[in-house]
Amino acid sequence: MPSALANVGRLRRPLALRPWTVLLPVIVTCAALAVGLGLIAATGASIPRTVSAFWIGAFGSSYAIGASLNRAVPFALVGLGFILAAKANLTNVGGEGQIAVGGILATATALHGADDLPRGLAVAAPLLAGTLAGALWGGIAGLLKVRRGTNEVISTLLLSFIAVNLVYWSVGSVNLLRKPQTSASTQPESLEIPDLTKLPMLSSDPSSQLHIGLVIAAIAAIVVAVVLTKSAFGVRLRAIGLNPLAARRAGVSQNLQLLALALAGGLGGMAGAIMIQGDQYVLKIGFSSNYGFDGVVVGLLARGSAVGVIAGALFFGFLRSGGMSMEMMARVPSAVVWICQGLIVIAIAGSSAWLDMRRISAGRRP
Amino acid sequence: MSASVVRATSEPNFDQEGSRAILTLSGVTKHFGPVAALTDVSLTIERGEVHCLLGENGAGKSTLCNVIFGVHQPQAGAMRLNGEPFRPADPAESLACGVAMVHQHFSVIGTMTVVENLMLGQVHGRLPRRAFAGRIAAISRAYDLAVDPDRRVDDLSVGERQRVEIVKCLIRDPVLLVLDEPTAVLPPTEIEALLAVCRKVAASGCGVVLVTHKLAEIAKIADRVTVLRQGRVVDSAPMAAADMGRFVHAMVQRDISSLGQGLAASVGVDNRAGASVETRPRLRPCPGGKDALLVDAVSFVDPQGVQHLDAITIEIRRGEIVGLAGVEGNGQSELGAVLAGLETPSAGRVFIGDREVTGAKPKVITAAGAGVVPEDRHASGCILEMSVAENLFLGDLRRFSRAGLVRRGPMAAAAADLMRHHDVRAAGPLAPMSSLSGGNQQKAVLARELSIDPLVFLLAAQPTRGLDIGAVEAVYARILSARAAGAGVLLISSELDELIAVADRILVIFRGRIIGEQPAHPSARETIGRLMAGEALKESA
Repeated sequence: MPSALANVGRLRRPLALRPWTVLLPVIVTCAALAVGLGLIAATGASIPRTVSAFWIGAFGSSYAIGASLNRAVPFALVGLGFILAAKANLTNVGGEGQIAVGGILATATALHGADDLPRGLAVAAPLLAGTLAGALWGGIAGLLKVRRGTNEVISTLLLSFIAVNLVYWSVGSVNLLRKPQTSASTQPESLEIPDLTKLPMLSSDPSSQLHIGLVIAAIAAIVVAVVLTKSAFGVRLRAIGLNPLAARRAGVSQNLQLLALALAGGLGGMAGAIMIQGDQYVLKIGFSSNYGFDGVVVGLLARGSAVGVIAGALFFGFLRSGGMSMEMMARVPSAVVWICQGLIVIAIAGSSAWLDMRRISAGRRP
Repeated sequence: MSASVVRATSEPNFDQEGSRAILTLSGVTKHFGPVAALTDVSLTIERGEVHCLLGENGAGKSTLCNVIFGVHQPQAGAMRLNGEPFRPADPAESLACGVAMVHQHFSVIGTMTVVENLMLGQVHGRLPRRAFAGRIAAISRAYDLAVDPDRRVDDLSVGERQRVEIVKCLIRDPVLLVLDEPTAVLPPTEIEALLAVCRKVAASGCGVVLVTHKLAEIAKIADRVTVLRQGRVVDSAPMAAADMGRFVHAMVQRDISSLGQGLAASVGVDNRAGASVETRPRLRPCPGGKDALLVDAVSFVDPQGVQHLDAITIEIRRGEIVGLAGVEGNGQSELGAVLAGLETPSAGRVFIGDREVTGAKPKVITAAGAGVVPEDRHASGCILEMSVAENLFLGDLRRFSRAGLVRRGPMAAAAADLMRHHDVRAAGPLAPMSSLSGGNQQKAVLARELSIDPLVFLLAAQPTRGLDIGAVEAVYARILSARAAGAGVLLISSELDELIAVADRILVIFRGRIIGEQPAHPSARETIGRLMAGEALKESA
């Protein structure tokens, strides 16, 4: 046995730890940042002010750090869902919609009944409701995939559009979640959820908004990592993702794909619930402002690793906080902020794809 | 590789005026990553000769063809075409230089007619359909290649499609025609016709390279034989000066008389006349013996409405091997998919032992005691990217799980045991399946399926395809031992000689129907061959 196992190491990817596999993405990302700064200079904003605005927004105070970490939570959860489904060769791009339905159900549960529950349950009930709503949303796409072979990229994306419009509807109608209209200027949004249903804060520092969503995301990351790498479920997911026919022949049920999309959706729904219960407290149009789509990008960049998702989520969380601050304090147009973010994503994805291509062409077999 | 490699080819002489050589290769070497597919290959193909490339699977025959046709570029060595340096960057350049190739897998478009397919890439601007049809007719006549220019390719038989491929090559007036394993897909009757076409093409002054692993064909057609083993030329001789035993030895490094009937069949030689005529007792299935498999009037119509199986009935007793003969594409794949539980029959019932499994999931079929060795092990037999251990126990993970987590240690240990028992050679149980040779992958699949306990029925679909002779021998041994242990075996193969050598009786499938049963005896070969081509049906119709 030991002699048989001793040879296995040689079969691992040979390029994994060469210095330039780490250096290249860093260099390319710096180049992307340089281009971004050039663009910012071209809009007439001052570079030093922009940089300091970014710093203040992202890291400048305990409030800024807390807000950045809070922003990282939905990115992490959606990204984890993405890599879970990706293990079964499913591309879940429906994070935005899953956040939306999660937010709706969490708000509804929080406003209607949850505050009658004891403290712990009052927080857990909306969180669970949001998670289940997201799981249902992902599960619909899963059912279509397993029963009808519908491409999950299409179905999750279209279901997102439906979900985002469900938010419009539910905050637009007083019969649903819209707060009572007292004057013509009443915004189409829900009432604030009761204090009892808000997520507890992690820090006693009143200026920090950091809530326990961070802990939930960390636990989710550990669970997803263990499931994907250690569990029988993970092995079966991988099998069905790599070769559905051979997996079926070996007795792996195709319904696993449904389950994978439902779990991914559940994580998205949980992200939506956390966004409402953690810092927004009010359901309004566009409350999910592209967190779901950026979460997909986080999942893509992580390339199947839960640690990668956490790193990417933190990166995006701080980037978004800093970006918003650049917009407000340094008057950088929001379009340019988005362009900079896009450049960085392309730099990271492009350099890793390039490294992959080199590795494949080096080891290609007939 | 032993030091006593025979290199019969002399160094090609590029300077010789008026040489008959069309193509000369000298020292051609091709690596794919760390794998050497061709090493220092030198050979000469002459005008008007049929040059057979012989070798086991993985010997480098296809790679050599692809180098000649410009699909791959060699890392070292040189080629000369008609004396000029020849270094094609892609197939288009080869075609332009007069080198044409018929691939193992056809490259015609099914929804277009024959003439439309032939015009592709040949004509520009206004379509000279009529003039083109004339040229096709002329080629058809000259080479006895019957093709109907106005039929859709989808409606053609495999043999007809192959003729279209050949016409597609000949229409370019090639100086060299390369055919990669053209006989593998043909019924015995059409093989003769194909060989005759090759002879005619060569007679017209064109060089013909014919790749095969069947020696019987070589005896009929070859002018010169070059044998490849592990990417090297190990023998090359004019046919007249050599005998089969020499080529067999060069190819598999074993003496022809040491090969049993089944193995001899797998390299395409007829060993009945040899000293080792096998006197394996054929089992007479005892009347009243228990059924291993009952397929009762099963039909299968795919979602597109194409009927692949038409009221097929097969009964297999325990302890017998039933061969299913037929040209590929006559419903064997679909029958395999139905028996594996991957497709649900449209009508009829399936029993494993005395348990009905009609339309049951693969898990249930496995639980009923049916092992399945699928015809395409990469498509449904194993998962290349996963480890050998995971492949062996994917259906049985629970055995190694505690609280849902897989205990990798015990799983690897059990896998190592099974691998040792079935002689699966790999770096270890955690090595990815893709790192194994084809033969070891197949042995791993067999190991998994044969460890079903109790094994009532084994479906072995094309189990020796693409394997070298050592692996073929191992696969036969496993199938025979499954029979000895009381399992009924359905052996699906397009190699008639393999079935005659291994099976107890042979059923013939043609266009989704069982059209005859014959004893697995060499004397029935001709009858079975005719049944495979559907001729008995035409006569009775």
